Amino acid sequence: MVKLIGAIFIIVATTVIGFEASRNFSERPRQLRALRSALQSLDAEIMYGHTPLHEAARRLASQMTRPFSSFFESFAGKLTNTETTVKDAWEESLKEVWKSTALKQGEFEIMKQFGETLGRHDRFSQQKHIMLTLSHLEREEADAVQAQAKYEKMVKSLGFLAGLLLIILLF
Amino acid sequence: MNLDADIIFKIAGVGIVVAFLHTVLDQVGKKEYAQWVTLFGFIYILFQVASIVDDLFQKIKSVFLFQ
Repeated sequence: MVKLIGAIFIIVATTVIGFEASRNFSERPRQLRALRSALQSLDAEIMYGHTPLHEAARRLASQMTRPFSSFFESFAGKLTNTETTVKDAWEESLKEVWKSTALKQGEFEIMKQFGETLGRHDRFSQQKHIMLTLSHLEREEADAVQAQAKYEKMVKSLGFLAGLLLIILLF
Repeated sequence: MNLDADIIFKIAGVGIVVAFLHTVLDQVGKKEYAQWVTLFGFIYILFQVASIVDDLFQKIKSVFLFQ
């Protein structure tokens, strides 16, 4: 009886681990899409709204969902409250929020490079930089979708099967 | 002899699960991991069977080679 309960515990634990790992794969394309729509909104704010950067960031923070809303919020807060450059504020907010996203190092580099161009050019060069970043992110998203199709199911079944194997070995 | 049915079921279970793992890993193109999994499963079963066969030989020895 105790053995049976232990076996159930093991299989539940490994299955949950598998599902948790697969959630990472399904979360990444979603967040990349959100990031792209955020950049498109930023583009619109800059090109058509002529909005100052901290205000645009605040508006984006109210439009976005978690985790990016907190990113733009802290970015806007840093711009208004502290004596810093846009690049540093962008990078620091990025670092703060990055751990709570499912995104990888490649996207971090893309966003960091984008932050270096932010606020240093006129509107049309800025738009070109946004377009460049968008196309980079699009490529990453295609990558992420492919990885999701490939690995999501594998990780799920791998968790369950690993639990099963462990039970048989321990029995 | 209480281990006979148990050990057979255990070997069958390991075989089935390892076969599943092999197919899953093979399908996503992780052939090298699949082969390692199969190899380790095989080695584990081999050790089990070896210990049982050792048991059998001991028994035969005690029957025929009595001092």
